Amino acid sequence: MTLRRELSKLGAVLRRRKPAEDLEEEIRSHLAMEEQENLESGMPPDEAHYAALRRFGNVALTQERSREMWGWNSIETLWQDVRYGLRMLRKNPGFTIAAVLTLALGIGANTAIFSLGNVFMFRPLPVKDADRLAVVAVQYHADEDPGQLSYPDYQDYRKQADVFTDMTFYDLNLSGLGYRGHADRIIMAYVPSNFFTMLGLHPALGRLIAPGEGDEPKTGPVVVLGHSYWLRRFGGDPGVIGRSVSLDGQLVAVIGVVPQEFKGPYNLVELDAYAPIGSHGMTFGDPHKNFFADRSDTELRVLASLKRGVTSKQAEAALNVIAQRLAQEYPETNQGQIARVIPERLARPEPAVESYMPLVTTIFLLMVGLVLLVACFNVANLQLARAAAREREIAVRAALGAARARLLRQMLTESLLLAMAGAVGGAVVGNWVIRCLERLRPLGDFALRLAFTFDWRVFTYVAGVTLLAGIVAGLAPALRSSRANLSDTLREGGRGLIGYTQRHWLRNGLVITQVAGSLIVLVAAGLFTRSLTNAEAIDLGYDPHHVLNVNLDPKLQGYDQPHAEAFFQELLRRAKALPGVESASLAFSVPLGYYGDGTTVYVEGQAPQPTDKRLPGAGYNCVTPDYFSTMRMKIVSGRAFTDADTSTSQPVAIVNETMAEQLWPHQDAVGQRFSMGGSEGPFKSETQGGRGPWVTVVGVVRNARVQGLLDAPGNFFYVPQTQNYKSTHVLQLRTSVPPQSLIIPTEALVRELDPNLPVYDVMTMEQTVAGANGYFLFKIGAAFAASLGALGLILAVVGVYGVVSYGASQRQHEIGIRMALGARPNSVLALVIRQAVVLVAAGIGIGALAALGVNRLLASLLVGVTSYDPLTFISVSGLMLAVALLACYIPAHRATKVDPMVALRHE
Amino acid sequence: MTKQQPRDRIELVYGSLDMLVLRTLRWGPTHGHGIAKSIERMSEETLRVEHGSLYPALQRLQQEGWITAEWGVSKNKQRAKYYHLTAAGRRQLVAETSRWERYVRAISGVLRPAQTS
Repeated sequence: MTLRRELSKLGAVLRRRKPAEDLEEEIRSHLAMEEQENLESGMPPDEAHYAALRRFGNVALTQERSREMWGWNSIETLWQDVRYGLRMLRKNPGFTIAAVLTLALGIGANTAIFSLGNVFMFRPLPVKDADRLAVVAVQYHADEDPGQLSYPDYQDYRKQADVFTDMTFYDLNLSGLGYRGHADRIIMAYVPSNFFTMLGLHPALGRLIAPGEGDEPKTGPVVVLGHSYWLRRFGGDPGVIGRSVSLDGQLVAVIGVVPQEFKGPYNLVELDAYAPIGSHGMTFGDPHKNFFADRSDTELRVLASLKRGVTSKQAEAALNVIAQRLAQEYPETNQGQIARVIPERLARPEPAVESYMPLVTTIFLLMVGLVLLVACFNVANLQLARAAAREREIAVRAALGAARARLLRQMLTESLLLAMAGAVGGAVVGNWVIRCLERLRPLGDFALRLAFTFDWRVFTYVAGVTLLAGIVAGLAPALRSSRANLSDTLREGGRGLIGYTQRHWLRNGLVITQVAGSLIVLVAAGLFTRSLTNAEAIDLGYDPHHVLNVNLDPKLQGYDQPHAEAFFQELLRRAKALPGVESASLAFSVPLGYYGDGTTVYVEGQAPQPTDKRLPGAGYNCVTPDYFSTMRMKIVSGRAFTDADTSTSQPVAIVNETMAEQLWPHQDAVGQRFSMGGSEGPFKSETQGGRGPWVTVVGVVRNARVQGLLDAPGNFFYVPQTQNYKSTHVLQLRTSVPPQSLIIPTEALVRELDPNLPVYDVMTMEQTVAGANGYFLFKIGAAFAASLGALGLILAVVGVYGVVSYGASQRQHEIGIRMALGARPNSVLALVIRQAVVLVAAGIGIGALAALGVNRLLASLLVGVTSYDPLTFISVSGLMLAVALLACYIPAHRATKVDPMVALRHE
Repeated sequence: MTKQQPRDRIELVYGSLDMLVLRTLRWGPTHGHGIAKSIERMSEETLRVEHGSLYPALQRLQQEGWITAEWGVSKNKQRAKYYHLTAAGRRQLVAETSRWERYVRAISGVLRPAQTS
């Protein structure tokens, strides 16, 4: 039966014109018959005609109802509604612009946050079986963030694990790619030959690394280019295939380009190139480098493809069986190693004990959701005000036979049109926010890849939010005005006194919710801001102000060690002579920068601890003698480096306080000796079973936040550049003038010495510490939260303003009478403001209570402040109240200017 | 027009119009106007049908497949659309009628004690 009904509806749609004409004719014939009958019963012709019409009832309504039966009507009415809605919106440009702007800001904030969440959580890598892709990482304590693997560990896991279809890895590297005499600093990955096959990727051009190619040390002199880099550097020239380029001074052949959609496995930046892992040893031609055998050299970011039906937890359990075997076999490096298998989408940007991205995304989505709600309520309030003005129009339409549902739909169509216009604006706003974020340079010169892609997830989300916004903003006014009692309205001559109290109740409710919602967001903003302040108050152990960092890597231009050393000696001499420079030094890495180095440490005369056979690790930096004075780091005992520490003198080191206490508890660290293993160790010696020579500690330096901002400083030491060569250098200048002013003179200085050597990551130390490992997350968290808070505050205050000025205008008679009876302007002012205070206070009370509950989510993201911090609650509430009252003053003041005579004559 | 309405006329209970239309068509095919008139006649003018409301009901009944329609000529030589009851419509009428009778019995059962007391 229903099928037949559908078919008949379909038939009606296909025969579109017929039923309407049919019905019209039928009605005509009906009326003619009735008229005929009336005539026969003796009525005069005129009356017979009208009596027939009366008897029939509303012809238009009959037609409409019948048409609804045929089904195609809904499309036609929708089109009608849209056209009518557009006409109405065009007729009220002020209202339309205000509503669209409000919604655009709200939807834009939602779009931006969701796109970020999409990048970090939802969007899968464009690779084969992305849903089964997992990150394998290792940790040594359950509460430590899992980190990268060594090559031999990876091989053991790969050979022994049967929970994966395959495992592969990538080893991120900053390298120099030279072509036609010009070198570029690039971010690239060394990968095994199964990398591209496991990910199921096909080249955009040429070929990718072939199975077995370059898996053996010192083989595979080829490179695959990233798509963007190929476009940027080679102009998308297909002829690049087969050409020779130099990768860190080693000649390699370009064999292919990865597909455009593949930006690399690392979430934050797009990789510029991929080379076989076997060529790693060639390009980093350190004679002692033993990357393929050294289990302490942990550089590999491992990806695995889970077998169908195997969960990451099961895979983790299987790997840990292997981990225990490895720990027994290689206690020095593997004791206590715990393997973690984390679904790739939860391991962005880096694997963590507990991925904080879902929490951060949830919190910010909640915040933008609240802001949008506040925005929607503003539009709802605007519509309510407009509905009052439109009451007559709506009553007329209802009297002409428009059904209530039809009116409701008309009103909702209008607010949905507004929301859709808002969504277009929102996409622009969202895109702009993401662009601003990308400009923050948390990774130096490497562009942060947050890429606002309008994929189906973002589209669905924005469409959903838009629909919801349209309904939320339009439903209350639509319901209210479609309920209006039409005969009363028409009789009142359109003065719209009906539902007066009801509308007040509704408007007041909306405003209280607005204040409450924006207070929650403001409290969160306050907490994030205090968190940032607290983070900035952390004693870094060095002075980041008035320091300029300039990075140089002579291997990009093929410098060998002696030439590079001569170059830097001269550069340092000239830099010190620049006006405005107080001191200058060179280092390998900068504190809180995005790269650094570490190693394991052997302490002379100390057997490894029986409980933990794993050797202690330490970070290190290679510096010139003036480093500590340039950075203003205090030597607490012993001495700093001097020019007497040369490549031929005794190897020396300066350790931080933590390292001194950890390795030589209750002793003076100065004079002690240690050595270090690992291929990345700075000491060039193959004696002592892979360890470097003994290094004597000559000084202890105050702890500094070098590797992370929040964690207590770990073991860290410094060695002289003369005794430990690394090609990557950062020139650091302490200046008496603003450090930015020295950028151009310094770059000119480098060009004088070598016009072809690229200068990169030119940043002040303040910018550096604001990077990804420093204040970046605090800053964007606080900036985001503060902008959302400000937006919410403004929108809520606009709401308060609207309702108060509307209320004041409605009370004009009352105020007029009061003033005629001798009320002073001040008491009128108080009268109006009292109404606002009640609303705002109610909103603040509700909001504060809700914030207490909701903001508990924030607790784990805050530094040095609790989620119920009274100071924040009080100051934010005060701010809200103050701004709201300020906004109310305008309508209140206007109310006192009411001329009693004019107001009274109104009656 | 509401003011001219005789006091003893009753508005139709929602949904009962369908049943009345089907019932009317048992006497043979007729047009919309004829249906309206015969409902009024049969109910001795007690039931008042706003003629316009008949047409959406006729559309609905056609869609259900209970009636069919075709154009014809009335006895006054006027073109008019004639509605026929289908077999399904007949079955529907039987079902509706028995349901209605049970409904009326139930309501009267509730009301009668009150009347006698």
